[in-house]
Amino acid sequence: MSEIKVLIVDDEVEFAEALAERLELRGFQLETVDCGRDGLAALSTGALPDVILLDLKMPDMSGFEVLVEVKEKHPSIEVIMLTGHGAVSGGIDSMERGAFDFIMKPVDLDELMEKIKLAYDKRSSTD
Amino acid sequence: MMSNYFSKFNHVISNFLDGVDKGENYKHFRLMLYGAMFIIFFVPLLLATGLSSLEHKKLLAVREQEQLKASVEGAQKTIGAFIHELQSVVRFVSREYSYEELLDQNNASELFAHLKNQYPGFVDFGVIGPSGIQKVYAGPFRLEGYDYSEQDWYTKVLVRQLYISDVFMGYRKLPHFVIAVSNKLPGNEEYWVLRLSIDYETLQNYVATVSTSAIQDIFLVNNKGLLQTRSNIFGEILEPCPFYTHYKQGETIANVDEYKGIKYLRSYVQINDSPWMVVMLKESYMHGENWSSFRFRLRMIFFGCTVLALVVIVQLVNTITNRLREADEKQNQALTEAQFTNKFASIGRLAAGVAHEINNPLAIIDQKAGLMTDLLEFSEEFDHKGKLTKSVESILDAVQRCKVITHRLLGFARRMDVTFEHIDISDLLREVLGFLEQEALYNRIRFELSFAEDLPMVFSDRGQLQQIFLNIINNAIDAIGKDGLITLSADLHDEENIDVNIQDTGPGMSSEIVKRIFDPFFTTKELGKGTGLGLSITYGLAQKLGGNITVESKVGEGTIFTVRLPINDTRKEGNFNE
Repeated sequence: MSEIKVLIVDDEVEFAEALAERLELRGFQLETVDCGRDGLAALSTGALPDVILLDLKMPDMSGFEVLVEVKEKHPSIEVIMLTGHGAVSGGIDSMERGAFDFIMKPVDLDELMEKIKLAYDKRSSTD
Repeated sequence: MMSNYFSKFNHVISNFLDGVDKGENYKHFRLMLYGAMFIIFFVPLLLATGLSSLEHKKLLAVREQEQLKASVEGAQKTIGAFIHELQSVVRFVSREYSYEELLDQNNASELFAHLKNQYPGFVDFGVIGPSGIQKVYAGPFRLEGYDYSEQDWYTKVLVRQLYISDVFMGYRKLPHFVIAVSNKLPGNEEYWVLRLSIDYETLQNYVATVSTSAIQDIFLVNNKGLLQTRSNIFGEILEPCPFYTHYKQGETIANVDEYKGIKYLRSYVQINDSPWMVVMLKESYMHGENWSSFRFRLRMIFFGCTVLALVVIVQLVNTITNRLREADEKQNQALTEAQFTNKFASIGRLAAGVAHEINNPLAIIDQKAGLMTDLLEFSEEFDHKGKLTKSVESILDAVQRCKVITHRLLGFARRMDVTFEHIDISDLLREVLGFLEQEALYNRIRFELSFAEDLPMVFSDRGQLQQIFLNIINNAIDAIGKDGLITLSADLHDEENIDVNIQDTGPGMSSEIVKRIFDPFFTTKELGKGTGLGLSITYGLAQKLGGNITVESKVGEGTIFTVRLPINDTRKEGNFNE
């Protein structure tokens, strides 16, 4: 299995970096950005990620807005929403907008990896 | 006085509406309402009854007097006509026969016989010469030669030419009256007199003919106040009449007099060209039995109306006051419920905010500690590596505990959103106990769970169910105080409902308390510790979810709350808040 490319979009830089490092240690290829605009910019410059971990609440653009744009331009990229807010409705809304799944902070790393792999499998099958 | 009353009334109303001292105000309001109603009902009733009675009485009195006046004037005319006829007869005789012709006894006797035949009331007939000596007499008595020159009536007839006497006894010793005329002797200034005596019975009979059943008495009285005919009330002829009054000629009088305890309406008038006054007496209607009976009936109607009005007023005032009280209580209840709900919603929002704010730094700690673990794992052995690894694991354990707390808080916040979903009741009850286990632990209260296997999922609102069970279990903890057991069990009641029983080993409740346990504002807790709304709201929530709550309790043994919930509530979310 080739390295799964993961893009983390989260304004909590410390969280994003620590998570990225841990996933890298587990064989994932990681890139992190701290806002929605940088996230969208990252999609237009380098190689496309397989999976995006997208925070729901960010100061410049909300996770929903980023999600909608990503799905418009790159429908094959799977997005997993991260939220510190417990409202199930937020997760359901994001899934209705095309997110693969949602996961609540603090994340369980094994659970997250499992979901990333499932998302990657789905993307691979649709390619 | 009235303005004071109204200002007091306004004060009470305004206090009432402002909600100041409501218990006392209901009493005042009720009293004021009674007062106002009494005035509204009784003043017009009293005025209507009193005025109509007075007016009716006045009208009747006037009418009665007018009627009696008309009757007495009728009698005056009739009797007057009779007397006039007698006068005409005497005048006729004196004109048709000369003094010399009448001095012949045979002529006189024949004439008297004719007159007697025509007028049986004539007693006798006499011709009196200028000296006052009766020259000729025709009749049953022997009165020839009697000297009348000293008699009062003889003088009067000489002066007036025509004279009618009172009824008197005279030489005959029998009551009679006299009609006499004086005539001048031809050729000199001397007068002779023709005199006719009439039995008083003639007058009596004539008076009787004008009497009617509508009157009690009719009689004649002379200007000396002596009865000239018999009176039913005052006695025999020539006895004094106690009602005698001086009167004006031609005027008809009607007034009320009392005689021997009976009020009579009396009317009298002078009979023209006679010494008599005709008097009529009628028992006054105003003072008679009919009037008393009418007044009694009127009073009975008044009191009947009063009693009826009292009943209506009492009912009306009670209904109005009770409706006001109910409306007020409902308003209070709605207000307090709204405050209660707001409080819960605020707590929910606060909990969600706190959880969210904590989750983000917690996620950083979690990942940083996780990274440390990873790095330690991939690093060579070094001093204190084992201790460091354990410390990081402790951090991760603490993060895990915090995570459980924040997720629970978020779960609590979520129940503010009204959404119907399929819920596992046993999971939900465990979740609720999670909130209470610390408190239970401090109070040494144990929980025992006994859930039937294969319990179906319930389609209901998670938040509302949490609130229902939270309230009931909280109450059970409060009831036990320290050291006790709360048993939670859930089983299938029938195909459509499941029962959740919450049993405590608290002191239990009397049946009187059980009856009122779901009443708003009813509480057995100390003042200030309970609003008395928890179970009321809980019951309302259970009903809204299509279920109900029942209570069984025994003093000294404990209490069982049974919450029955429908498995598939067909109601939609949109209808929930109706």
